[in-house]
Amino acid sequence: MNVEYLVKISKPMLEGAGTTISMFLIAIALSVPLGFLFTLMAQSRIRAVAWFAHSYIYVMRGTPLLLQLLFICFGLPMLPGVGEYLVFDRFLAACIGFVLNYAAYFAEIFRGGLLSIDKGQHEAAQVLGLSRWQTTTKVIMPQMFRVALPAVANESITLVKDTALLYAVAVPELLHFAQTAVNRDASLTPFIVVGIIYLFMTLVLTLFFKFLEKRFKYE
Amino acid sequence: MSLIQVTNLKKSFGSLDVLKNVSFEIRKNEVVAVIGPSGSGKSTMLRSLVHLEHIHGGSIRIGDRYLVQDGRYASTPQIKSITSGMGMVFQHFNLFPHLSVQDNLELAPRTVQKRPAAEVRERSKELLSKVGLADKADAYPARLSGGQKQRVAIARALMLNPAIMLFDEPTSALDPELVGEVLRVIKQLAEEHMTMVIVTHEMGFAREVADRVLFMDNGEVVEEGPPSQLFANPRHERTRSFLNRVVTV
Repeated sequence: MNVEYLVKISKPMLEGAGTTISMFLIAIALSVPLGFLFTLMAQSRIRAVAWFAHSYIYVMRGTPLLLQLLFICFGLPMLPGVGEYLVFDRFLAACIGFVLNYAAYFAEIFRGGLLSIDKGQHEAAQVLGLSRWQTTTKVIMPQMFRVALPAVANESITLVKDTALLYAVAVPELLHFAQTAVNRDASLTPFIVVGIIYLFMTLVLTLFFKFLEKRFKYE
Repeated sequence: MSLIQVTNLKKSFGSLDVLKNVSFEIRKNEVVAVIGPSGSGKSTMLRSLVHLEHIHGGSIRIGDRYLVQDGRYASTPQIKSITSGMGMVFQHFNLFPHLSVQDNLELAPRTVQKRPAAEVRERSKELLSKVGLADKADAYPARLSGGQKQRVAIARALMLNPAIMLFDEPTSALDPELVGEVLRVIKQLAEEHMTMVIVTHEMGFAREVADRVLFMDNGEVVEEGPPSQLFANPRHERTRSFLNRVVTV
């Protein structure tokens, strides 16, 4: 093992890391707001809306993410009649799968955050004349996000690692390039390099969320 | 005309009648203490005045408008407008933990009343000085003692310039040595002739500050009168036995 070899195998892997990071950023950016929408729907007074949200969360959490990815990539195109319109680019299909799946987890995390907020907060907001919208945005949401932050951090780290599932739907990401190099060179080194790259990404995330927790400590 | 008139207020949870025909009036500039054992309906009665409790019968008139008349509530915008003239202070303060003391005071005047920021800032400084917490403007509630939190909560309610202040056991969650600082603030408001309804377990305070005392038991107003008469010469046996219990303990 020499430096030259490391540089040689790292180049495609960093390219793969780019795919991993793009997937991560897209999934986080869309699943957090979608998850919050499901949280609100689950609280809805309209029974059908709440029922839909709960069922959605149940199905998404109750089946493997890998199954969902395979279903979107390979299953949807087989649907009679509409299948031909449901053939997506693999990366896009995987994005849809990750966003839909993680939204369900985030919905549950935010619901936990909502439940932790004392009803006195709603009452205080009401007697001060805040509307429901103002109460939600100015009083409840900031507190909910603060409570949910450690769980969101945990889920984000899981998401980074779950991007390795892209391997199964043949989107060339970090792990894919490592596996290719291992097969080609009959060397363990690419696995170690890829492990270090994952550790580096999760470290950055960990530090970022630690910073957020400190920033929103409210003391 | 009285500022608040409550007539035959009724509320029940299932088969339990929490309020049975409660009637009373509050005049302008009057300080009324409401006393009585736990579960007597005092807090429920107070909370129904600002529509934190939904009542099932009777009438509540605030100023010249009915919040609820013979069990029928006004429209939602009217309810909001009628209750906006009242400030409420809770037993557990209910400060917003994610906002500084200053932002706790300024949130409603800015977002609800849309008053200019400079005027709101001036008023919040003034009120924080009044409750003795001018130096805590930038602190978060987590850094305050219970007594300080309650004084912030009082200042927050005063920011909206209410015509009536309601206190729901304002000192019941406090350590004994912190009760005095909160009562002093309420007493100062009484001296400024703020109209106030105070649900309290502090008998000494009720006797000293209230113009009138209502004694509630079992969902009814059993007796009312000036503190000198009610504490020294209760007319009703239930009042007497309650006072005996709280005074001897």
